[in-house]
Amino acid sequence: MSTQTGIALSAAQVSKVVDGPDGQLTILDGVALAVPRGDSLAIVGASGSGKTTLLGLLAGLDRPTTGSITLAGTRLDTLDEEARARLRRRLVGFVFQSFHLLPALNAEENVMLPLDLDGRDDAREHAGEALARVGLGARRHHYPHQLSGGEQQRVALARAFVHGPEILFADEPTGNLDQRTGAVVGDLLFALNREHATTLVLVTHDATLATRCARNLHLREGRIVEAAA
Amino acid sequence: MKTFAFAARSLRREFRHAELATLAAALVLAVAALAAVATLASRVERAIVASAAELIGGDLGIGASKALPPAFVEEARRRGLATNRLADFPSVVFAGDKSRLCDVRASDAAFPLRGAFTVLDAHGIEHPAHAPPVGAIDADHAVLVALEVAIGAHVQLGGREVVLGGEIGKSPDSGNLFRLAPRVLMNLADAEASGLLGPGSRAHYRLLVAGDEGSVAAFAAWAKPKLPDGAEITTVEDAQQNLRNAFERGESFLRLAALLAALLSGVAVALAAQRFARRKVEEVALLRCLGASRGEIVSALVLELALLALPACLVGLTLGLALQQIVLGLASGLLPGATPRLPWGPPLAAFAVGLAVLFGFALPPLLRLRDVEPMRVFRHDLGARVRRFDVLYLLPVAVGASLVLIGAGNLRLAATLAIGFAGVGLATSVLGLVLLKIVRSVAGRLRGALRFGLANLARRRALTLLQAGALALSLTALALLGVVGPSLLERWRANLPPDTPNWFLINLQPEQRAPMQQRLHALGATNLNLLPLAVGKLVAINGRAPDAAGFTDRRTRSAINGEVRVSWSDTLPAANKLLEGRWFSTRTTRPELSVDRMWADMFHLKPGDILTLRVGEREIEATITSIRGVDWDSFRANFFLMLDPASGATLPHSFVASFHLQGDASQSLAALSRDYPNISLIDLNAILDRVRDIIGRVTRAVSWVLGFSLLAGVLVLVAALAVTADDRRFEAALLRTLGAHGRQLSIAVLSEFAVLGLLAGAIAVVGAGALGSVLATSVFKLAGYSPPFAALTGLVAAAALIVALAGWIGTLRIARTSPMAVLRRG
Repeated sequence: MSTQTGIALSAAQVSKVVDGPDGQLTILDGVALAVPRGDSLAIVGASGSGKTTLLGLLAGLDRPTTGSITLAGTRLDTLDEEARARLRRRLVGFVFQSFHLLPALNAEENVMLPLDLDGRDDAREHAGEALARVGLGARRHHYPHQLSGGEQQRVALARAFVHGPEILFADEPTGNLDQRTGAVVGDLLFALNREHATTLVLVTHDATLATRCARNLHLREGRIVEAAA
Repeated sequence: MKTFAFAARSLRREFRHAELATLAAALVLAVAALAAVATLASRVERAIVASAAELIGGDLGIGASKALPPAFVEEARRRGLATNRLADFPSVVFAGDKSRLCDVRASDAAFPLRGAFTVLDAHGIEHPAHAPPVGAIDADHAVLVALEVAIGAHVQLGGREVVLGGEIGKSPDSGNLFRLAPRVLMNLADAEASGLLGPGSRAHYRLLVAGDEGSVAAFAAWAKPKLPDGAEITTVEDAQQNLRNAFERGESFLRLAALLAALLSGVAVALAAQRFARRKVEEVALLRCLGASRGEIVSALVLELALLALPACLVGLTLGLALQQIVLGLASGLLPGATPRLPWGPPLAAFAVGLAVLFGFALPPLLRLRDVEPMRVFRHDLGARVRRFDVLYLLPVAVGASLVLIGAGNLRLAATLAIGFAGVGLATSVLGLVLLKIVRSVAGRLRGALRFGLANLARRRALTLLQAGALALSLTALALLGVVGPSLLERWRANLPPDTPNWFLINLQPEQRAPMQQRLHALGATNLNLLPLAVGKLVAINGRAPDAAGFTDRRTRSAINGEVRVSWSDTLPAANKLLEGRWFSTRTTRPELSVDRMWADMFHLKPGDILTLRVGEREIEATITSIRGVDWDSFRANFFLMLDPASGATLPHSFVASFHLQGDASQSLAALSRDYPNISLIDLNAILDRVRDIIGRVTRAVSWVLGFSLLAGVLVLVAALAVTADDRRFEAALLRTLGAHGRQLSIAVLSEFAVLGLLAGAIAVVGAGALGSVLATSVFKLAGYSPPFAALTGLVAAAALIVALAGWIGTLRIARTSPMAVLRRG
C-alpha cells in the first residue's frame, strides 16, 4: 500500500480523448503527477483546461484513455467500475462545488451516507460527532433547503471526513460561496485535513485556497504547464 | 450497504416530494379502480348467473325420462341443498264440453327454488305463490279463455276433479319457446295419485337443487357417474341461448371496463416513474461516487418501490372495496335477488395486478439508473448511456399484453384491444414526429410566449412524444368508456325493438294460410313472418347414419335422437345471413339444403355434403348448398335447416307464424283459436319481458361499472399530468423572474397543451371509433353499429380542454408562490 512508498496518488502519461461533434477531442494529454501521503495538491487553470476531468480520473470516477493511475497502491485503470466503487467507498472522500447533499435526507442522514454504504452500525453516532465538529450539531435534523450555502458545505465536509478516508478530493469547494463564508469553509477543510492526516487534492479557481496547498499544478489545454511547490 | 435502512429512509423522506407521492397516489387509484371494478363486475356477474338460475328454476337440474331414484334427493339434502321434484307432461284439461291440451307441470311444494312464481286470484290481484296444494291447479290465462271458466271453477284433469285456484302470472322457466300448449301447474302428489305418471306416461322428470356454489358443484360431481340412462344434468350455463348471449355480452363489457382502468393506471405509473427516475439521477451519481455498487443501487431502488407499493396497494384495496360497496348501496335494485357475498379472488387479483403494474411500468426507467456515470457529479450534462434498444422496454409491453390477455379473458377482445392500442401508439409517434417538425419551423417565426410554448414542445421531443402517446392512449380509453361503451349498450337494447314478434302460431294447415293472414292483418298484427314447417328425422349424413354416442355435445345428440324441423322459402328470411354458398335458384333439379352455422359446426358439415331426412313416409336426400348465420335473438321463426322450395313443397307440412300484436290481445286471439281449433298460439310476451328485464339489469350494472372506470380514468389522467407539472412550474418561475406576466405564461402553457391535446384528441377519436366498430362486430356481435363520432369528438375535445386547464392551473399556482422559492427547489 501507499505506506510503503509514501505516495498516496500517482498518474503516469494520463490522457483522455472523447468523441466530439467535429471528431475526437483531447481533454487531457500526457499528465503525470505524484502526491505524497498527507500532502495537499491544488489543480488550477482556466475553465475548460481539464481540471475537473483530471480530478474525476484521479478519484476513479472515470477511466483514462491511456496512461495509468495508482491510488493508495492500487492501479485504477485496470479495475472495472464496481471494483473502483469499492475502493472509493473505503479510501476516498469528496467535496463538491454544489455540495451534492441529498435533498430528501436531513443533515445527519447525509453525513451517515458513507458509513451506511459501508454497512456500519455506528453511523448515526459518528455522523453526530462529525456534524458537531463542523459546528452544526444543533442543525442535525435540518434538511438541505433549510440550510444556507455555507452550512450545506460544512455538512458536505462532515460527510467527506466521517469515514476517515485516506484521500480527499475537492472540486471548487468554495466556488459557490461568498468570500467570507468561503474562507470559513476553507479553514475548516484544512483543519480537518490536518486532524485526519488526509491527502488532499483540490481543484480551485480561488488563488488564496490554492496557495494554502503544499503544491500547485497548473493545467492549460489538458497539459501541465507548471508545477509549483 | 444497509440497503433496507437506506431504502426506508429514502422513502420516508422522498414521500414529501411530488413524484413519489404521485406514484403512490396513481397506485392507490389503480388498485382501487381495479379492485372496485373487478369485485363489482364479479358480484354483478354472479348475480346475473344467479338470475339465470331462475330460468331453470334452480342452480342445477337433472332431467330424466323416469323418476330419479330417491338416493339423489337424499344425497342433495345431505349436502344441505334445497330440492324440488318436478314432472312435465302433456294432458287435456276438461270443463264441461270444452277441453284444452295443456303442458302440465306437477311439482312438490318447494317450487320454485329460484325466481318468482306468482298467481292472480279471482280479483286479478297478483300474489307470490308456491305449487298449489293437493286438489287444486293453477293455469295460464289461455286455459281460462279456451275453457271459458273463471278462477274457482272445477275442472277435470287426469280423471280427477280439481279446483282452478289461480291464474299463472310470472313463472321461472317460462322461456321455453317450444312449449306447444298453455301451462298448468298441479301438485305432484295429485299427479302420482291420479295415474298421470303411470306406465306409458310421456312425462319428463326433473330434480332441481339449489344452495351454495361449492355444495352444488360437489353434488354435480357425485351425481354425474350415477345418472340413469337418458338422464342429463342441466347447469345454469346451459340456460337459454339468447339469454346466454346477453350474459356473455355483459361480461365482455365489464371486462373491458376493468381492463381499460388497469391500462390507464399503467400509463400513469410509467409517467410518474419516468419523472421520479429523472430526479434520482443526481442521487445515484453521488452514491456511485461515494462507492455504492450497481447492485446495491438497484436493490435499494427495488426495495424502495416495494416499500411504497405494499401499503399503497393495501390502501387502494380498502378504498376499492369500500367504493364498490357504496356503488352497490346506491344502485339498490341493480342486482337481481340477494347481493352475492364478497368474493376474495378479484380484490386479491387487483392487488397482484397493482404490483405487476408498478414494477412492470416503473422498473424500466429506474433500472436504467444503473447506467448513471459517477462523473455526473461534476458534469450535469453527462447523460446515461443511450441504447438503441433496451430489453427493459419489453417489460411494460409484456405486462400490458398480459393484462390485456388475462383481463379480457377472451382472445378476440384481447387481440382487438392490443392491436388497437398499439395502432394508437404508433400513429401518435409517427404523426407526433411530423407535427414536431412543423412546430419547429413555425415556432421560429412566432413571437413571445407562443414561441416559447411551442419551442418547449420541440425542445423536449422525447418527452413530448411520450406525453402525447400517454394522452392519446388515455383519451382513447376514456372515449371507449365514456362514449363507445354506452352507445354499444344502446345498440344492444335496440336489438329488441318494440315490434319484436310477441306471438307464435303453430300447426296452421296449408289451406288456412291465406285466410289466417287476412285475419291477422285485420287484428293489426305487424312484423308477420309465415313459414312452412315439416317435422322429420335426420337419417344419414353423406350416406352414413349418425351415431349419437359419437358426439359429446348434448344439442348434437338430441338432434340425432329427436325430431328435426325443416322449412323453406323463396328468399333468404329476415334475421338470416348467407355465410357460404348461394341461396336456392328456381332451376334447382335436385333437393338442396341450407344449414345454420351452429348446426354445420355441430356435425362438421360443409357445402357439398349430403343429408338424408325422413319426413312422414318420405325420405329426401339433399345437398348442402349454403351455410347461414341466424340471429336467434330476433324472436322470429328461425330454422337450422331450410330446403329449396320445390323439394319442400312435396313434403307434408304445416305453417308456423311469428307476429307482433300491440296490447292485450287475449280476447281476440281466443276467438281466433276457437275459429281455428287446430292451431296453437304461444304467448312470447313473458319471455320477451324476461329478456328485456335481464338486458336492462345487465346494461344498468355495466353503466355503473363503466361510469366508475371512467372516473378512475379521469383521476389517473389528472395524476399523470401532475407529474410533469413541476417542470412547467420551474420554467414558469424562470419566465416570471425574467419579467413575464401572467397572460404570457398562460399563452405559453396553453399553446403547448393545445397542440398536445389536439394531436392526442384527434388520434383518440379515430382510434376509439375504429376500436368501437371492431368490438361491435367481432366481440359483441352487434350488427349495424356505427360509432357516434359527434359525441366522441365532443368528449375528447372536453377531455383535451380539461387537460389544458389542469396544466394551466398548475402553472397559475406560481402566481401565489414566490418564483424564488420554486427556483431554489429546482
